[in-house]
Amino acid sequence: MSKAMVELDFFRTEKDLSSSKSFDRRRSFRDLQSVISKMKPELLKSVIESGSSSSTPKQDPTPFAPLPIYSPTNSKSVSSSSSDAAARSQTAPLTIFYNGTVSIFDVPKEKAENILKLAVENSREDSSKAPVSSCERRRFINHIARDLPMARSLSLQRFLEKRKERLIGAMPYGSPKHTRFRTGRIRGYY
Amino acid sequence: MEERNVKTNVPMPDVVLQCLMPYIHDPRDRASISLVCRRWNQIDAMTRKRVTIAMCYSTTPQRLRRRFRNLESLKLKGKPRAAMFNLIPEDWGGYVTPWVNEIAKSFDCLKAVHFRRMIVKDSDIELLARSRGQQLESLRLDKCCGFSSDGLFHIGRFCRRLKTLFIEESLLIYERDGEWLHELAMNNTALETLNFYQTDITRVRFEDLELMARNCRSLVSVKISDSEFLGLVNFFRTASMLEEFGGGSFNEEAERYNVVSFPPKICRLAIPYVEKDKISIVNPVASSLKKLDLLYSLLDTEDHCLLIQRCPNLEVLECRDVIGDRGLEVLAQCCRRLRRLRIERGADDQGMEDEEGLVSQRGLMALAQGCLELEYLAVYVSDITNLSLEYVGTYLKNLCDFRLVLLDREAVIRDLPLDNGVRALLRGCQKLIRFALYLRSGGLSDIGLKYVGQYSENVRWMLLGYVGQTDEGLLEFSKGCPSLQTLEMRACNFSERALAAAVMRLPSLRYLWVQGYGASTTGNDLLAMARPFWNIELIPPRQIVIDNQNGQEVVDEQPAHIIAYYSLAGPRTDFPATVRPLQPQHP
Repeated sequence: MSKAMVELDFFRTEKDLSSSKSFDRRRSFRDLQSVISKMKPELLKSVIESGSSSSTPKQDPTPFAPLPIYSPTNSKSVSSSSSDAAARSQTAPLTIFYNGTVSIFDVPKEKAENILKLAVENSREDSSKAPVSSCERRRFINHIARDLPMARSLSLQRFLEKRKERLIGAMPYGSPKHTRFRTGRIRGYY
Repeated sequence: MEERNVKTNVPMPDVVLQCLMPYIHDPRDRASISLVCRRWNQIDAMTRKRVTIAMCYSTTPQRLRRRFRNLESLKLKGKPRAAMFNLIPEDWGGYVTPWVNEIAKSFDCLKAVHFRRMIVKDSDIELLARSRGQQLESLRLDKCCGFSSDGLFHIGRFCRRLKTLFIEESLLIYERDGEWLHELAMNNTALETLNFYQTDITRVRFEDLELMARNCRSLVSVKISDSEFLGLVNFFRTASMLEEFGGGSFNEEAERYNVVSFPPKICRLAIPYVEKDKISIVNPVASSLKKLDLLYSLLDTEDHCLLIQRCPNLEVLECRDVIGDRGLEVLAQCCRRLRRLRIERGADDQGMEDEEGLVSQRGLMALAQGCLELEYLAVYVSDITNLSLEYVGTYLKNLCDFRLVLLDREAVIRDLPLDNGVRALLRGCQKLIRFALYLRSGGLSDIGLKYVGQYSENVRWMLLGYVGQTDEGLLEFSKGCPSLQTLEMRACNFSERALAAAVMRLPSLRYLWVQGYGASTTGNDLLAMARPFWNIELIPPRQIVIDNQNGQEVVDEQPAHIIAYYSLAGPRTDFPATVRPLQPQHP
């Protein structure tokens, strides 16, 4: 798992990203997406718990039955900053990983419990699912759609890779900070 | 007395119509003519020489044969354009085999074949060469895959009248040797254009290129792969008629390239891997250059400026954004005849490109005021303003094709949304036929998207990325765009319901591609656009293993695609596992 230096506004204490005209990005979308998808399920689960009750995050999680997708073992303590943030907001994000997609819903605690119960029931028996209310559906944010990294054309991709190979081949022990043909500039032009 | 009156009830004789129709070349005019009446339809069918099938699954080879028996030139496109960005599974489809089979049987007049983004096997090339080799003048395998150098050998062997062989950017499955080029050089004297640029072909011999230059005195355009430039010295001496050259690479010391001398008529150049200390080989011909491709060069901003100043007759320039705003200012001053400009995206890594290598509103405004002849402008920008887009609309009245991509290099773009700028651009550029706008969240509001619909009367192709805010924007957009035939959308996050509604409303739409939308697992809301002759295909989300920037293997999440198109052929029968047709369930 990559060590991400991304500051994630996990509890949306900042303005809602999708409606602001300008936003602060510290890294590209690709990193954000990969960090979200690499988060440990236990951590996510405990974040939900800390959102529902700000005390004793180490307790065994009972109102939530384990989701069929993962089986968390021990809950981990979360940073104090996130539990403070959670206490401030009424709803908390519920992140669901399913079938190669990542979805985040802003739901209050009770709704989150219901959703998880439904998921567990549904996995146990083939009963018909209770429909998620329409307002949750409207707030459905498909992070894969929004944070799609810009694709590069194949020809350019091949060129940039070849260029890197040439650079490494020419200077296998690392690139110099200056070039032979230009003074006063820091970067090379390969 | 009667002769003075125009007799309106005497039909024009067929012979006259058959003489007149060949003068009408524009395919849309021909399409209109063929709808007048059955007779005109038949005469058009008999006299139609060129056909482009923009989506190979929209019809069948048999239908083509039944209607256009006397075809001389055929162009087929297969995979969606997104395949050029590695977004489409390689086995998606677009096989030329059924088409080649029909060509071999029926099309006795066919002289030119162009396959673009299709899967071509060696057996297809062999069949085509054997059956039509005697009459074939032009063969283009354009960004194709699936064949090897063995297939190319048949071309040299059978296609002795070939004037154009073009396989640029095709992906060969393997390369046995360079015998195919030797065969072509031995047997052909008619060749004018040879292009295997941007392929991984390495085993061709310089001697065969020289042989070709000796035998083919009409050789005008040669673009090769990455062979060492010094090996071309003799070739340049022999190919005295050459006007266009591309390819090669520079692996030796700069002084050694003093012997390189381009042929006297050279006016179009593409030089990959050229660096600051070697670019001077271009100087003797710079003032004659009409076309310059620096996409794969290793020059910095200053180098671009110096070179551009030497090329006052430049009409076409392709480069990466290392050209910078400064380079665009130089271009605006020196290259007043510029018609086409493409500025591509350079490396993202800091340190791989010049720190000046960014294009913004500053360069765009200078360009708009200086290069008034521009017809095609495609640019990756790091920053943008509404005003700069207004400048484009004000000054670039000849613009037919405009493509703007906003990179995510700058965290904050102050002048968003671009609603007003986009509106001004569309209103000002009345000749616009192709339009692409790829922004970021907040780049274009729902109102801005509505403007795009309202003010794009003649636009036939659009690529929209990260535009609009809600479904409302898309629905308003779809009230306009009267001429829109092909729509590509990425990361716009519209719901399936809105997409289907928009499709039903756009009057000219015949092809849709979408990736990054409010995808459901079933796709059932898309069925609102189910209708006769409309094929809907989904590529469900995939996980593919790719190498990231650090060379590590990572799992890349590829979200779902929708591909929908009109077809007379019904649903495809050659789906790979990665593609799923969407059809309404019949009760």
